[in-house]
Amino acid sequence: MLQWCAQGFGAIALQSLQNQTAATAGTGPATGAPWSPKSPHFAPKAKNIIFLYMDGGPSQVDTFDYKPALEKYNGRNPREVIGKLAPTQFDAIGNVLKSPWDFKQHGQSGHWISSLFPHLSEVADDLAIVKSMTSKFSEHTSANYFLHTGNGLQGRPSMGAWLGYGLGSENQNLPGFVVINGGLIPPGGLDCFGSGFLPSAYQGSVFLPQNQPLPNIKRLEQTDQIQTNKLELIRKLDSQLNDSLGGDSEIEAAIGNFETAYQMQSSVPELMDLEKETEETKRLYGLESDFNNTKTFARQCLLARRLVERGVRFIELTCPGGNGDRWDQHGGLVDGHNKNCLTVDQPIAGLIKDLKRTGLLDSTLVVWAGEFGRTPFAQGSNGRDHNPFGFTIWMAGGGIKGGVSVGATDEWGYRAVENRFEIHDLHATMLHLLGINHTQSTFRFSGRDMRLTDVHGNVMKEVLA
Amino acid sequence: MKNSCFITHWITRSLVVSAVLLSFQGNAQESNAQEDSVQEDSVQDAVQIGSGQLAFFESKVRPLLVQHCYECHSSESDSIEAGLLLDSKWGWETGGDSGPALVPHSPEDSLLIEAVRYEEDAISGMPPKSKLRDADIAILEKWVSMGAPDPRTKQPHSEAGTNENSFDLEKRFKEHWSWRTIQQVTPPKVTNQDWPNGAIDQFILFDQEKIGLQPAQPSTRRQWLRRVHFDLIGLPPSAQQIEAFLNDPSEDAHETVVNQLLRSEQFGEKWARHWLDLVRYAESYGHEFDYELPFASEYRDYVIRALNADVPYDQFVREHLAGDLLERPRLNKELGFNESVIGTGFWYLHEATHAPTDVLGNEADIMDNQIDVFGKTFLGLTVACARCHDHKFDAISTADYYALSAHIQSSCRQQFNLDVNQQAANAKQKIRDSLELATKKIAEAIDRNPAIIELLANTSRAVELPTHLLPEPESSDAQNNKEEAETALLFADFEENSLPEGWSTTNDSFEPIGSRLIVRSDGSLAMPGTIDSGRSGNKQVGILRSPTFLIEKNNIHFLAKSTANLKIQVVIDNYQMTSYNGLLFGGTLLKGEGTNTGGKWAWKSIGGNLRKYVGHRCYLEFIDPGDAEIAIDKIIFSDHAAPKISEPTEINPDQLKELLSQAIADLSRGKANRWLSWQSAQATSMLEMINSDVKKQFDEAKKQNQTIPAPRFAIAMAQGTFEDASVYIRGSHTNPGQTVPARNLTSLGGVKGTRLDLANQLTGPENPLTSRVVVNRIWHHLFGTGIVPTVDDFGPQGQPPTHPALLDWLAKDLMDADWSLKHTIRLMVLSATYRQSSVASPAIRSEHLALKDPTNRTLYKMPVRRLTGESIRDAMLFISGNLDSTQFGRGIPTHRTAFMTGRGARGSGPLDGAGRRSIYLAVYRNFLNPFFATFDTPSPFGPQGRRSTSNVPAQALTLMNDPLVIDLSKRWGKKIAEDKEKSVDDRIRQMVLAAHGTQTSDEQISVYDQFLTSQSKIYGKIDERAWSDLAHSLFGMKAFYFLR
Repeated sequence: MLQWCAQGFGAIALQSLQNQTAATAGTGPATGAPWSPKSPHFAPKAKNIIFLYMDGGPSQVDTFDYKPALEKYNGRNPREVIGKLAPTQFDAIGNVLKSPWDFKQHGQSGHWISSLFPHLSEVADDLAIVKSMTSKFSEHTSANYFLHTGNGLQGRPSMGAWLGYGLGSENQNLPGFVVINGGLIPPGGLDCFGSGFLPSAYQGSVFLPQNQPLPNIKRLEQTDQIQTNKLELIRKLDSQLNDSLGGDSEIEAAIGNFETAYQMQSSVPELMDLEKETEETKRLYGLESDFNNTKTFARQCLLARRLVERGVRFIELTCPGGNGDRWDQHGGLVDGHNKNCLTVDQPIAGLIKDLKRTGLLDSTLVVWAGEFGRTPFAQGSNGRDHNPFGFTIWMAGGGIKGGVSVGATDEWGYRAVENRFEIHDLHATMLHLLGINHTQSTFRFSGRDMRLTDVHGNVMKEVLA
Repeated sequence: MKNSCFITHWITRSLVVSAVLLSFQGNAQESNAQEDSVQEDSVQDAVQIGSGQLAFFESKVRPLLVQHCYECHSSESDSIEAGLLLDSKWGWETGGDSGPALVPHSPEDSLLIEAVRYEEDAISGMPPKSKLRDADIAILEKWVSMGAPDPRTKQPHSEAGTNENSFDLEKRFKEHWSWRTIQQVTPPKVTNQDWPNGAIDQFILFDQEKIGLQPAQPSTRRQWLRRVHFDLIGLPPSAQQIEAFLNDPSEDAHETVVNQLLRSEQFGEKWARHWLDLVRYAESYGHEFDYELPFASEYRDYVIRALNADVPYDQFVREHLAGDLLERPRLNKELGFNESVIGTGFWYLHEATHAPTDVLGNEADIMDNQIDVFGKTFLGLTVACARCHDHKFDAISTADYYALSAHIQSSCRQQFNLDVNQQAANAKQKIRDSLELATKKIAEAIDRNPAIIELLANTSRAVELPTHLLPEPESSDAQNNKEEAETALLFADFEENSLPEGWSTTNDSFEPIGSRLIVRSDGSLAMPGTIDSGRSGNKQVGILRSPTFLIEKNNIHFLAKSTANLKIQVVIDNYQMTSYNGLLFGGTLLKGEGTNTGGKWAWKSIGGNLRKYVGHRCYLEFIDPGDAEIAIDKIIFSDHAAPKISEPTEINPDQLKELLSQAIADLSRGKANRWLSWQSAQATSMLEMINSDVKKQFDEAKKQNQTIPAPRFAIAMAQGTFEDASVYIRGSHTNPGQTVPARNLTSLGGVKGTRLDLANQLTGPENPLTSRVVVNRIWHHLFGTGIVPTVDDFGPQGQPPTHPALLDWLAKDLMDADWSLKHTIRLMVLSATYRQSSVASPAIRSEHLALKDPTNRTLYKMPVRRLTGESIRDAMLFISGNLDSTQFGRGIPTHRTAFMTGRGARGSGPLDGAGRRSIYLAVYRNFLNPFFATFDTPSPFGPQGRRSTSNVPAQALTLMNDPLVIDLSKRWGKKIAEDKEKSVDDRIRQMVLAAHGTQTSDEQISVYDQFLTSQSKIYGKIDERAWSDLAHSLFGMKAFYFLR
């Protein structure tokens, strides 16, 4: 009979990992645990992704897409100067609104970045800025589902789930798809991080940036011994059952899961413990900021690096609350965007610098994106409405050509007119950088070979190093 | 040089054409004629192309087309996008999916120009990657303005550009197994004749024997009992039930158990959950605010009741598809309400978003989901795959998809009053009887003495009379508001005694008055020429629904007399979320005080600003939810403000005399009179003065009115205006093509008709899918894998049946048994196949198994199956003595942990869900129960007849640390600890029996004893904590949450 003890559990888990034969990307696990590592289709440029999700839709014309025409026509009727306008979410079209922030060029690349991002400007040359992204939806939830799952409806697998399905993860004691919840679950709810029709094992685990980030990760027994005694008892009786069945693979896997779960009880809190980080690192990320939300997002960014270090495949960060309604500034543009940028600017810059100096940036893809952008004309007097027709995202890290600016919107920053990209292209590119051919990573569901990119998507060659 | 070549060319062609024209006058074949007419056109064009135009085309236009369009729109393209060719004149004239690409001389009407301008009204901006330079766009505009002179007159040789299609529905229909008629099959002869216990076993054994296998030993009685309990009712057997079964020596002991389980109320609670997985059951809409999906639990309870009552499956299907149209709906046995109509609620369990900027697109997406659920659930067909193109693999065309969408588009979502015990309908009848008697008495009294109606005039002499009600409102309006009268369109005026054509009502409230003399329950005369929701008491519930129309004008005005708290809405493209959030649809819904006309006749407006919805389909709904009343005179569409009510005018004695004589004349002809009705409403006691007898009738009507109970609503479907649907080209709703009528799928006969016709066809004996699909689902739930493993997909992309003959035998048997699902379930669980143990027969070598049947396809043993999350939770409640077996009702709110945040979050429900069975826990789309999600309960977005069965550490973490598991373990442990009468070992035996259904060996007892001792040592004393730890451990053991 197997003798159970804490160390024994770890050893067994490791052994079972090594025994797993790697399946091919996109076919799901041939055998073994769903998150066991699988080989990519071709040599990847990056191993992990950090997705900085800018919930609500940052304004492109106030951040990265500099449009002098807005200054010239400020206050004019947009129907007269821009022409025909598509229906907007709030149907309250105001006048052309120039950006309240100054733009300057930064770095060797000469990226135009507004004064909202002083720290990020320092790493301008690491960013590939895409100014011609488009979405299909003007409404948050559909756009959120679309950004996360490639489909505007609820219940489809999220990007991270697809990556887990295709590649597994390099750490079996942590979930492979982690969402660090800064305080705001996006409109559309947890389904943005769901596994859809993929096995539920691939759904995102939503971490709160606190010592016990996950539900059920903390043992409720007073002492370790009380719990380990239980687990030992369970194991003894389970083994007898398994023997009586002549060795059943499902039962065996379930037994193994208890071992992994026990490990996670300690590996997860260890992950969350930032005490061992140096003061300099903490400062770099902005953990000592006067602004609470900066501290929260700094913690999230630092955790993201720690997850990358531990081989977690896909990490998504959501925004802290309390900066107006996320990035969704239908009114109060100045105050809202000031606070949102203050929240993310230093932590993101810190993350990029930190990844770079530790060499992790070469194997980590960082993506910054909202579900859509905002209108170059006002909603009411001091807000901007949703605009899916042309907005800005950026990428940095493994396989990315830093310093390039790709695509363009029209002179208003309203519609993408040059090198127009779709969300599907972003997904195709993310998969490509991780060594997956997006057309070949499929899952048979409902009579179709489903893909993250549906029947669309082209790799955005312009951003590749 | 160029010019001269061109002229030569033209002459040559012109000669050829003359010759052809001659032969055409003879007996040219049709195909020739087509070709030739093209050539003829070319000649015409060639004549028209001047040299300047040609030069312009060659130097400016052609290079643009070649550089920016040919990649996807030429005969040489790898794949021709949208079926459009731009490398020949013929190409753009013929056009692609959306029709001709340009209209010569008219750039504003040309799709090509719209596309390059990136206007994106009907079609996407082109070229897709980058917009052309303004100068280039100007060139194309100029070219089209010039008449699009184009020398590329040669028609492409190949089929390219003709929207070539390898889609051959008939061929596919013939080739794929699932379309074939169900065969009458005889169970095969088997060698081992002792083993089979019926036809199922013969089929199974036959396949095993073919490859040298044999069945497993029967499982132990305990194992079988636990298996059949979980499979049929989702709960473990109690100690008493185990005891009773073990001690039942009769031959039919198994059958006794099965019959008991099939009769129990818990049966429906287990099997309804399987059904809810198919119809994406939820109690909220998801998306941003997770609004409540109203009355959803009525549907859930309906399914439970129907399964428990063993409603024949064909009836169940008919109720889902057309329960609102059944001539004789099935009534609830206890409460006498219409059950059938509740089935149609499944159509509307979809997710929904508020404020779509594209409301037609929103409707198209919802219909996609509805068709997906319909196709997979009932037919195992992926019909929704044919939304954008003909099905890639199956015999389903895009036209089929839109023929089904026509059914949905022609239907309306409604809130239906179930009318428990028909109390409302009965009261209505009694009220009418009383009031008709009153009407008769009033009419007789006036007939005897016409002058008596002066009473009415006299009493209300002080009241000024609004002339707009006299005598015909139309003429007065025209006088009062000329501008309005000129532009407004009269939509309905309710002059007739019956509903105007295309209008419909639901439930008992609304009734057309027409010209009839009718006494209302409030003691006034109903206004002629109106439709009235208060005729039969003021507590009746009902809906008045207009036919579908296209929005043309900015406003809808209606003349009515109405209380507060109705709901009046313009339903645009079947969009129903305005009552939750008015964004983008402001003014399309009146409710609360918004419907109050203050006891007077007044014009009300609805629509707010419909201008942006011009061209959209919509209908009007007047919803009387009970304590409200409305009478509507007429409805107009207008671009202006509502007509003004004319100022009341004094009436002089002469006018009064005239009015009276007119009233007497009307009454003598048996007609109502508007002025009289108006007068009677000013002082409702006046009718009693005309005839004091009527007071009795009024009192009786009032008494009956009080018996009308508060409504009990369910969401249901109603027939709206029956209309054809447009095929959306490549699935794009901005690009409608030909229309198709509502009909069945081509492969199932394609017969046109109503939803009821569709339902009857799908449940008819000639449809091979309905019965096959459902017996296969049952098999899947009992044996772990369907005979067709892809239970929702019987198409070519699904897996073929492992036992096709058995599948047909079961399907036929179900129909022969009057579609009794319980019959089929009984048959399966009493089979020897189901009774096998989970260990293969020791007589077969494992190498042989690995070679011949590595996946247990032949069912040589029963698979080990993990319990569902619902069963795990229910079993823990049951075993720990905390299960509350209350049935039905609104879902218990989800217990919300600190991790479940976001918009639309509701207050948290109790940790243990009030002890109710899992099926009664609410399903909020944005706050799905994490316990269930961990164990693979699907997210409710579309049909999932086969859940994924994951086996992951998160499940272990849940069983180790979830507060619910801990809580129930504690409660159970406490109970056991208090039972001090029993010895420790007896208590251990009792617990293991409850949790695992097994006996405990002496060796095991000592292991448990040791555990209790070591835990007690840590705690410092022997108490309930150790027992709780044991309880917790038993829940973590695989013997608990796996079924052998």
